[in-house]
Amino acid sequence: MNTNKNEKFTATSQVENGTCTVFLRGELDLSVAPDFRQVMEPLALNDKQDLVLNLKDLKYIDSTGIGILLSILKTRHGMQAGFLVKEVPEQIQKLFDMTGIAKFFVAQENSQ
Amino acid sequence: MIDEVQKVVISLPATAEYVDIVRLNLYGVASKMGFSYEEIEDMKVAISEACNNSVLYAYKESNGLMEVTFETVGDALSITVRDEGESFDSWGMAGQRQGLHNKELNEAQIGGLGFYLMQALMDEVSVENEAGKGTKVVMTRRLMKSEEKV
Repeated sequence: MNTNKNEKFTATSQVENGTCTVFLRGELDLSVAPDFRQVMEPLALNDKQDLVLNLKDLKYIDSTGIGILLSILKTRHGMQAGFLVKEVPEQIQKLFDMTGIAKFFVAQENSQ
Repeated sequence: MIDEVQKVVISLPATAEYVDIVRLNLYGVASKMGFSYEEIEDMKVAISEACNNSVLYAYKESNGLMEVTFETVGDALSITVRDEGESFDSWGMAGQRQGLHNKELNEAQIGGLGFYLMQALMDEVSVENEAGKGTKVVMTRRLMKSEEKV
């Protein structure tokens, strides 16, 4: 199996032209959920810039992680601020579709 | 012919840091049985949700253990996640065991999503809850024969 699979979860942000993009890497599960929530909170509350999550290198997400995305969606929606997910891996998109959170991302995209 | 039953049992601290160890074990057992990458990814999510439940709800006051059993019965993999915690209120209300479909964003709640995912990703899921004696989640996924695949 891929021995890099257990790489530590990281969330790295980058601001460019009024958009903050956060690149997620590794496995977003219960063990890193508190850290992720903490990193995302100030970014989610900043309505001066659009927020984008790039999931290209996200290997895994559980319901805890999806729960955090849902609360970011609610926060951004409440402030009428932009929020998108980009480059969602197939397996993770499947979970988004299955749980029903996918339609909220689509709705965000359409309102841009 | 009687199906041969093979069993792997692991016992680990019921803390969030050990759930990835369970996923790694699942990978080993399931790939050896011949499950596809996608099927294993599905089961990874399901087994993690069961473990998350033990981690979050079983042991409030003290540190406890969760025991994960992988059993191959014929062409099916049966996974049991068991704890000996308090087990009350786990998985939220039965009515919340659904996805976010047909919900508006402001009424969407995360409670119950873990259980919903387990059910969606496995062929069979059963939860036994007994006050003071912990929770036992049993889930099964059958190996699809390659000729059955579309």
